Amino acid sequence: MNVEYINPFINSTMNALTTMAFVTPVRGKPYLKSETDQTKVDISAIIGLAGEASGWVALAFPRAAAMKIASNMLGEQKLSLDSDVRDAVGEIVNMIAGGAKGDFSQKGLSFKIAIPTVVIGDSHILSQKKDVPCIVIPFTIDEGEFFIEVCLKAEKLQSAAGEQVTQSVNA
Amino acid sequence: MSDIRVLVVDDSSTMRRIIKNTLVKIGFANCFEAENGIDALAKLKEGGAGLILTDWNMPEMDGMTFVKSVRGSDTFKDIPIIMITTEAAKAEVVEALKQGVNDYIVKPFTPDALKEKVEKLFVAK
Repeated sequence: MNVEYINPFINSTMNALTTMAFVTPVRGKPYLKSETDQTKVDISAIIGLAGEASGWVALAFPRAAAMKIASNMLGEQKLSLDSDVRDAVGEIVNMIAGGAKGDFSQKGLSFKIAIPTVVIGDSHILSQKKDVPCIVIPFTIDEGEFFIEVCLKAEKLQSAAGEQVTQSVNA
Repeated sequence: MSDIRVLVVDDSSTMRRIIKNTLVKIGFANCFEAENGIDALAKLKEGGAGLILTDWNMPEMDGMTFVKSVRGSDTFKDIPIIMITTEAAKAEVVEALKQGVNDYIVKPFTPDALKEKVEKLFVAK
């Protein structure tokens, strides 16, 4: 997957979180997800994409980071992964996908966005489909490390190998 | 402005709360909510509105279908509508304006951006 198709998700993640949750995450190095990846999270929001590019984007948090994001968005402290936190995390992934969709449309690639699904469960793992490459982008805030997973399949995305992802993603 | 009834339509309770909090801060305290287009049409029939802020992507009835219903209604067709959505592509903005949306805000947005759009709408009127 070409880095050109990862940067819109990085940019929209930073934009959504700084604007709506008033945090400035530090981005780590993106990597191609392996089938043996056992990264565990407590809440994840997944949104499907369909069109000239298809697949999904997932936003996955440890408990404390999700509660911090939701607390800032809502202006009240959240102490558990309740319905408010679930809704807030779903809305953030919606904004991430929407923002990236706007960038992709300028590159001549269009897709539709589904309604997000949010999963809550202590230490769950996001598995991947074998035929769809997934790029993981780690981010860190004071409350912990969270992840964006971009799993996309499209003819126009096949021009570069996944290994390139680590080389030239925007700072 | 404080007497104007504002209908906030979004399937996200988080977004409804953020939008309502911003509206209250800029003097629109009379807000009521709906989770989707069907819910919004039912709420409108109960008492009308002076301003509608609606999302686009929602289950049951999406925002664009809702806008078309409002603009096709003799009773509600003149209510100002601002669409607040993650749909950032130019084609979507053009489509929304074509269907009768008065203004358009892309999520994520700042409280100032919402304030500016709402105030512009009422000054323009």
